[in-house]
Order: sequence, then C-alpha cells, then structure tokens
Amino acid sequence: MQREIEPRRSLSDFLREDLGLTGTHVGCEHGVCGACTVLVDGWSARACLLLAVQCEGAAVTTIEGLTPAEGLSPLQEAFRACHGLQCGFCTPGMIVLAHELLALNPAPTTEQIREALAANLCMCTGYVTIVRAVARAAAARA
Amino acid sequence: MTWVGRAVPLKEDARLVAGRGRFLDDLVPGRMLHVAMLRSPHAHARIVSLDASAAAALPGVAAVLTGREAATRSRPIRPLIPTPVPIDDWCLAVDRARFVGEPVAAVAAVDRATAEDALELIRVEWEPLDAAVDAEAGVRGEAPLLYPALGTNVLWHDTLTYGDVDGAFARADGVLEERFELSRYASTPLETFGCIAAWDAGTDAYAFWTNDQRPGLTMAILAESLGVPQARIRLACPDIGGGFGNKRRPAYLLVCALLARRTGRAVKFVEDRRENLSALMQAAGGVMDLSLAYRRDGTLLGLSIRDVTDEGKNLISPAQHNLIKLGNIANGYRIPAIRYAAWSVLTNKCPSGANRGIGKPFMCFAIERALALLARRLALDPAELRRRNYVSAGEMPYATPTGATYDSGDYHATLQAALERFDYDGRRHEQARGRAAGRLLGIGIATSVEPAGTNLASYEIITGRRAASGSAEAAMVRIEPDGQVRAAVGDPPSGQGYETVVSQIVADELGLAPDQVEVARGFDSSTTPWLYLSGNYSNKFSVTDTGAIVGAARRVRDKLLRIAAHRLEADAADLELRDGAVAVRGMPARALTLKELARTAYADVLGLPPGEEPGLEARHAHQNPLARPMDAARRVPSQLVFANAAHCCLVEVDRGTGGVTILAYVVVHDCGRELNPLIVEGMVHGSTAHGIGAALLEAFRYDERGQLLTSTFMDYLKPTALDVPDIEVGRLEHPSPFTPFGAKGVGEGGAIPGPAAVANAVEDALAPYGVTVRALPITPEQIWRWLTT
Repeated sequence: MQREIEPRRSLSDFLREDLGLTGTHVGCEHGVCGACTVLVDGWSARACLLLAVQCEGAAVTTIEGLTPAEGLSPLQEAFRACHGLQCGFCTPGMIVLAHELLALNPAPTTEQIREALAANLCMCTGYVTIVRAVARAAAARA
Repeated sequence: MTWVGRAVPLKEDARLVAGRGRFLDDLVPGRMLHVAMLRSPHAHARIVSLDASAAAALPGVAAVLTGREAATRSRPIRPLIPTPVPIDDWCLAVDRARFVGEPVAAVAAVDRATAEDALELIRVEWEPLDAAVDAEAGVRGEAPLLYPALGTNVLWHDTLTYGDVDGAFARADGVLEERFELSRYASTPLETFGCIAAWDAGTDAYAFWTNDQRPGLTMAILAESLGVPQARIRLACPDIGGGFGNKRRPAYLLVCALLARRTGRAVKFVEDRRENLSALMQAAGGVMDLSLAYRRDGTLLGLSIRDVTDEGKNLISPAQHNLIKLGNIANGYRIPAIRYAAWSVLTNKCPSGANRGIGKPFMCFAIERALALLARRLALDPAELRRRNYVSAGEMPYATPTGATYDSGDYHATLQAALERFDYDGRRHEQARGRAAGRLLGIGIATSVEPAGTNLASYEIITGRRAASGSAEAAMVRIEPDGQVRAAVGDPPSGQGYETVVSQIVADELGLAPDQVEVARGFDSSTTPWLYLSGNYSNKFSVTDTGAIVGAARRVRDKLLRIAAHRLEADAADLELRDGAVAVRGMPARALTLKELARTAYADVLGLPPGEEPGLEARHAHQNPLARPMDAARRVPSQLVFANAAHCCLVEVDRGTGGVTILAYVVVHDCGRELNPLIVEGMVHGSTAHGIGAALLEAFRYDERGQLLTSTFMDYLKPTALDVPDIEVGRLEHPSPFTPFGAKGVGEGGAIPGPAAVANAVEDALAPYGVTVRALPITPEQIWRWLTT
C-alpha cells in the first residue's frame, strides 16, 4: 500500500491509527516490552521504535497477517490450548516473536524458547504457559 | 457431571490470540481529541504562575485545562478512606505539586503529538520546596509538610492491641527483634491506564470508556465531582489489559470529562509508560520493626509490630495498606497476643494504592523472614518451626485475634505436600554437596494465607465511623426471546477469564454447555447490574460474584420450570432441565425447549401461568456471610475467606556477579474448589512471578530530593522468561463452607509469600557469609557487597 505520512509517525501509530490494525499493542513506547512486535521483512522488530517511513518498501507482517481468515493458526491454537495468556495484551507480540523463532528453529529446546521469549514482557502468566504453548506448537509440527 | 471445576479452554482466548481483543486504546469515537498532561518535574513545588496561552493558540489544540480551572469547574475527589482533616484534592494540582509526575495542566488536541507539542508551550514558574521523602522523618515531625493545614504528614496513627501482649513478652524464653524494609514496586499491567470521556449537551450527560477496575466506586466519584446525578453517567469497560489493583485514577476521567464538556468532542487519554510508572499507583514501601516472643520449643507467644507506611501522596485510600497488614498479621500461625502500632505517612512520591496483595506481601515478608531467623536461632528446621505454630485443620473455622475467620484448610498438609513435591530432604543433600564444592545454594520456604473479598466495615478502625461495609457483587442472567442465554456481572475482568467461568456456572444451572452461554465483555453501567462495591479487586470473584451469578441463574431456572409445568400440565418437581429443554422426568417426549419457553415468556404471554410476569431475566446480588461490623474490642475482618499456600525454592548465587538464579520453584496451594483449573494454575504462575520480581528486581528508587530514578523499563526491571523458572504447581482442595462453590480467591497468590520465599533462599545461600536479608529487592549489587566485605 501507499500512504503519505508525517515523518515522525511511528510504525505502531501508523498500523493502529491509520490502518486500524489494532492487534499490534503498545505497552511502553520505548522498546522494552515488545507488545508492539511485528515482522519487518520476516524479522521481528519493535513497531514503537520504528518510524513508519523507515519501512518504505518493506514487508510488514502483524498479528492480523498471521491469523487465517477462518479459525486460528496452529501456533494460536497452541496458545489457547495451553492458556498461554491471561489479559491478552502481550499476546500478539508474543505470537509474532514465537512465529519468528519457529521459522528460524523449528525444534527449539525449552532454553531456546525462553531465550527468544525473553525479548518481550508478559505481566500475567509468569511465562510458564507461554513456553508450554510454543513447545506444543513446535512438537505439533515435528 | 458439571462444568464448574473443569479445565475448559477460555472463550476469550480465541479472540485475544488473534489480536481481536478490544482494549481502551482501540476505541476511536468520531472527531475524538487526544489528551496530554503537563506534569511536575519537582517532587514538591509551589506553582507561582502558569501561562497556557501559547499552548492554546497552537494549531490543532482544542482546549487547555489548568488546575485552577479544574478547581472551579469540578469538586474535589472524594477519598475511599477519608483523611482526619478534609483535604481538597482536585483532578489537577492547583497551587502546589506534591510528587514528580503529578499533572498540573492538560491539553486536548487533534492528535497526541500535537498535544505534547503544546505542553512545551506552557510556561510554569515553579518555586521548588523541600521534599518529604522519608516516612520516618514524617513520624518524628521533621519532614516538610505536604498539607500545612493538616499540621503533620501522618494521616493515621494508632496502636491496636489484641490479647495480653505484655504478659506474653514477660513469659517468653526469648524475643526476636528485627527491622525489615520494603521498596515501592508495582505490578505494572502491560496495558497502561486510559479513558475516553464524551459529553452530551442536550441532556448534560457523560459517557466514559475506561479500563478502571472499580467502576462502582468510580461512578460515585464522577457524579460528586462533576455535580451530575449518577443516572446521567454511563461508564463502560472494554477488555482490560491487566489490572492487579493499579488500574484506577478517577482524576484522569475527570480531566477528560471537563475537556469533553469544553470542546463538545470525545476526549481520550492514555498513559505512556513513564506516566504509568511515575504517577499511577505503587505498592507502599516502608519500614517494619518486629518483635516476636517465643518459647524455647519454638512456640510463638506474642507479636508486636511497629509499622511506618510510606504512602506517597495517597489521599485516595490512606492507611489501607495498614488495615490489610493488620488483617494478615499472624499469617497461618496461632499467635494469641498481637500489638500493631502503625503510621500512615504522606511523602512527596507517587500515590501508593492497591497492588496485587496490597500490604500482605510486606506483612508476609516480615513474618516469614522472622520465622526463618528464629529457626536459625533455635537450630530448628524452618519447616518444623512452622509446623509447631500452624492453626490446625481441626481448629477450623478459626477466629483470629484481630477478628478474621480462617474458614477452612490444612496448613500442615499444604506444607507437607510442598516439601514432598520439592523433594525437600533430597534438595538439602544436594545443597550440602554443592556447598562442599563451593557453590552458594540456598533453600527458602515461605507459607501464607491469602484472603479474598474486602469488608469495607473494617475502615471504621481508621475513620471511627462506618460509611460502607461488607463485600458484595451483582449479576444478571437473561434468556433472550430467541432462547439464547446471556449473562453479565458487575466485575470487569482484567485477564481472569470471567467470560468462561461465568458461562460454566450458568451452563450448570440451566442444563447447557458453556458455549451456549454468552457472557458480556467487560462492564457497562447502563446494562450491567452493579453496586457501589462492584469491581475487579480483592480476589472477590469466588466469594461474592459466584453467588450473584448462581442466584440470578436459579431465578431464571425456577421461572422456566414454572412456565414449563403450566404448559406441560405437570408438577414442577417432576421436571428436569437439561440439554436446552425442560422435560418431564422419565418422559423425554414431554418436553419444551428453551426457545419454546422463551417464546411463551416474551411473545405468547397468555400462555404464562396466572400471575407470572412476562420475560425471562433475573438479577441477583450476593454478599458474603463472613463480613461483620467492627466489635467493641476493635476486632473486624478486613477480608473474608482464606486460601493458603506453601512455596519452596532453590536458588544459586553467583559469586562473581552477585546474580541469583532460581533453580527450582514449587508452589502447593489450596484455594478451595477450583472453578477452572486452567485459570487457577495461570494465576499461581503469574502471581509467583510478581513475587520473584519484587524479591530480586523491582524498585521505584527516589533520590533525596524526591526525584524518581526508575521511570522506564530500562531501569525499573521486570522479570523476563529467563528470570522466572518453570514454576511447579500442586494443589489441595479444602472447600470453603462460606462460598457458593467452596471456592476461594487465588489472584493475589504467590505475590504474597513469593518475596519471602526467595529472600529466605538467598539468605540460606549466603549463610556462609552470615548475611541477614532485611530489605527488598536483593540486587546483585547488594549481594556483591555482602560477598566482598
């Protein structure tokens, strides 16, 4: 798509406010919490730390882009089956992060899962069921 | 077979994993304006002058609101617990700012960036004042006064005595004395606080959307401060991205309401993270001096606590931390004599307030640390010392000295189960081997009671009079004209899965499956039944909400049976409700579906029994029976139904870095009957992670001038997936006799004993160095100092 935007508009504001893609959440606006994690050309990135104009010509994938038109993806199903969430605010960012991990490493160890997920914060789950969900999704692929 | 008690996957998870939740910031009314707030850079300063004319003239700015204007257009905010001398506290600071981050002016503009640009054009002349940062200086009367009219920074002080404390200390073989300190910290829900206000000129009515956790109380404050009846206020909560008690700030709703009225447009404010960390809500810090009288065999005889609570600028619920500490002062132990001397002290810091466990984490930290130290002094195993003092299962229901009722549970069994699951003896051997090899391994045990429900009558201890009391919630169940079932409860969830649990409860009552019950998302004051007491706080779902839902569902069920009995010409006692129909028992052909019965109730009303009211909707409110008024001895339950838990953990301290790694963590808990084990287990994990954060990482640090040094997630550290171990959970189920399903609260969970468990383990690991842990968090820097001096 093509849009004319203010140079100072962040990617997260552009996605949420200009495109109405509200699945990408904003938790800290300084790049720590990872709630706004999206894929830019396949790599996870903080949408709050990117200016939208920096993404000119790039492929940006949000949680909406990882959700099938009908039903849920296997990764999303695993999060639901393991209750790998509570309030759901970190969840889209966590799923984007886990999607990247499984693309790079289809059979991660628990330690590798924890290391990857440590990029984002969750205030509800203590991460235990998120780790389980990612492991379950990986096992289902194998 | 019933649905309640089963690990039903969550309804709400299906939308949340797809990013289809609807959170406050996702809502965008037409022509909406965005608010940014100018905040005090000083901990304590007089506002000599404030000129917002240039900001108001900036293109894109619709309105500017200053503290002075707010004070003329609204009334002060009514506190939940009144101060001894009434203090006017408006939604913006008027003449003086009293903490770093306190808002003094607000701008509404076409977008947030423009509003923030306008803030830079507001000229404020500040006269900085000395800041009160030390609560103990406030007790001594040596701190600068926040409110000179009050004449002191001490909002409340009292000494409460239960039993023969002097006698207990006189008879004791020994007394353990220790001082403990807790930093301020917060649960920091990932979604920050936010609100939208709109005003309708034609009816002088306000509409609010907000992630406020306690809408019943907030409705009262909004009506009083805006000077409009509650009937002309509508307040709705969408999905809430975590709460933990933090999500409340009526002042922000008022700022938006005044700007909405001024501009005639909807106005939104959403905190950024710095605003959230510096100005929303922090758990009160403070200092506690503890004296514990004991017999040589470890029997506890008496407890005396001197507690100085650092409230910050808390005019909303001062002394609430103290009250809740008092209610949990003896933890799960039989301590016959208790003295509690407490000071609730204003300082120039962020307001303290509700935060997962409010007061209980500190209380539990002090008691469980004291027991660890006493075990060491008496050369007793810490588990054995606890066993010698627990209230036993045979004593339930047990009346505590301060007026609470421990309703059920077997604390011995909980501890035993945790020790077995942890392999306590095996781990002790592992520790001994590790120590011999030079490793710093430590084992920590902490156990706790965890109450649910708040009895507002307990505020009488502080205020000397009763303004509100009890613990209650309201709900409704309705079968729509098409036969579909809908339910709503006045408690907006913030991640606890109520849509699912409510559907489980209603499904059982009406003979359906949970998927056949629609549960309203969030809260809407115009459609949800609610009380002043309504809200998402104090672990109250299991002790009040469940009763409201069951009561409403049973009324609808009874009515269905009456209508069916009339139409089937049968006795209601011979009917059964299952699989979406009412049938004569043993005669499945003689049945009417809910759809057919709904048609009678709403459309074909001449088919109703004589005198039966049309419609299929019922409301019910439930109050928990354990709430009582204060008695003459000032005994009163501040909270009602008590779960319990035992935590065991193994940690290793790195000699080189002072870092702590948690190698194993076991929780065994007993929250009575579990309504949905999937949700309960998640609560236990998450709350324990909060305890670990408070123990090792999280602290709001203020310097001597009251500047907040940790206002971003770069320096206010939260635990990540590498800090929280794979917490292993076991459970016992001793149902409460005082709740509809025997369920108890579990939301505060590990946030209460977690800090003590980790601290006990770290101290045990550092035993070769003779270290005593007196304060949290235990940072690598602190450990490194211990190891090198």
